Amino acid sequence: MYGWIWRHLPGNAWVKALLSLLLVMAVVYVLFNYVFPWAEPLLPFNDVTVDNQ
Amino acid sequence: MAATTEGTEDHTAAPASRRRPARRRGTGRIAAAVSVFGELLITAGLVLGLFVVYSLWWTNVIADRAADKQADKVRDIWAHQDEDSGRPAVYDAKNGIGFLHVPAMSSSEILVEKGTTSKILNDGVAGYYTDPVKATLPTADKKGNFSLAAHRDGHGAKFHNIHKLEKGDPIVFETKDKWYVYKVYAVLPETSKYNVKVLSGVPKESGKTKAGHYITLTTCTPVYTSRYRYVVWGELERVEKVDEERTPPVELRG
Repeated sequence: MYGWIWRHLPGNAWVKALLSLLLVMAVVYVLFNYVFPWAEPLLPFNDVTVDNQ
Repeated sequence: MAATTEGTEDHTAAPASRRRPARRRGTGRIAAAVSVFGELLITAGLVLGLFVVYSLWWTNVIADRAADKQADKVRDIWAHQDEDSGRPAVYDAKNGIGFLHVPAMSSSEILVEKGTTSKILNDGVAGYYTDPVKATLPTADKKGNFSLAAHRDGHGAKFHNIHKLEKGDPIVFETKDKWYVYKVYAVLPETSKYNVKVLSGVPKESGKTKAGHYITLTTCTPVYTSRYRYVVWGELERVEKVDEERTPPVELRG
């Protein structure tokens, strides 16, 4: 999987490394801004109130 | 000796390189599937690790930023209300009604806003209950229970050190004109999340039977999970008027 991505990135090793870094940063950005905020309320870690539900 | 080792190296190296392409052809698909599976597992581990970083660090960064901004706004509104005539303070639910100071728990002030939905609490503030039992605000000048909730971990973690509160510790609520000084009188270190009775006007579990001016702090426990709720009760001891320098009450000095 990662090997396949590496082989399909254009340019020499330095360009590939830079592009990989950008890809990793894009993935982390998407996770922190969209995926985790969506997943968090579904997980039982941070309910602080008492209620009837 | 040298000759023989060289000889054996040659001997083992040659067939290995010849054998490799053959093995790849035979088990190539399986090997590829296993390596993709392995990479997915590594990815899952990294994502879970990132989720921990997100929960315990990033949400605090975001929440503290939001709370600071809203607190500045409230302070700003208070300052301007002083300038315009003698108009009484308007408690706009959207902006927050005041600040909670709990020196035993946290050295910083905690903004109090209306509501306990995650949308509100995720801004790094404490919220007063509107549901299932409506909180009685101290500003309402009637007896009742001022019930609050805030996060234990992440999202500002404003009640993180709630376990450090002991009987007799002060909880001070600051509004534009008054300091409401409460003293902790009972702690319930573990209760069910369905136990809404802790929020009642007269919280019986705390040992009180008569109506009074109470404050209730709720958050989750144990830390990093929300299996149970941690509850701290306080009772109003006195109310001080805010002077021009906003000198804090004795409990907050020192």
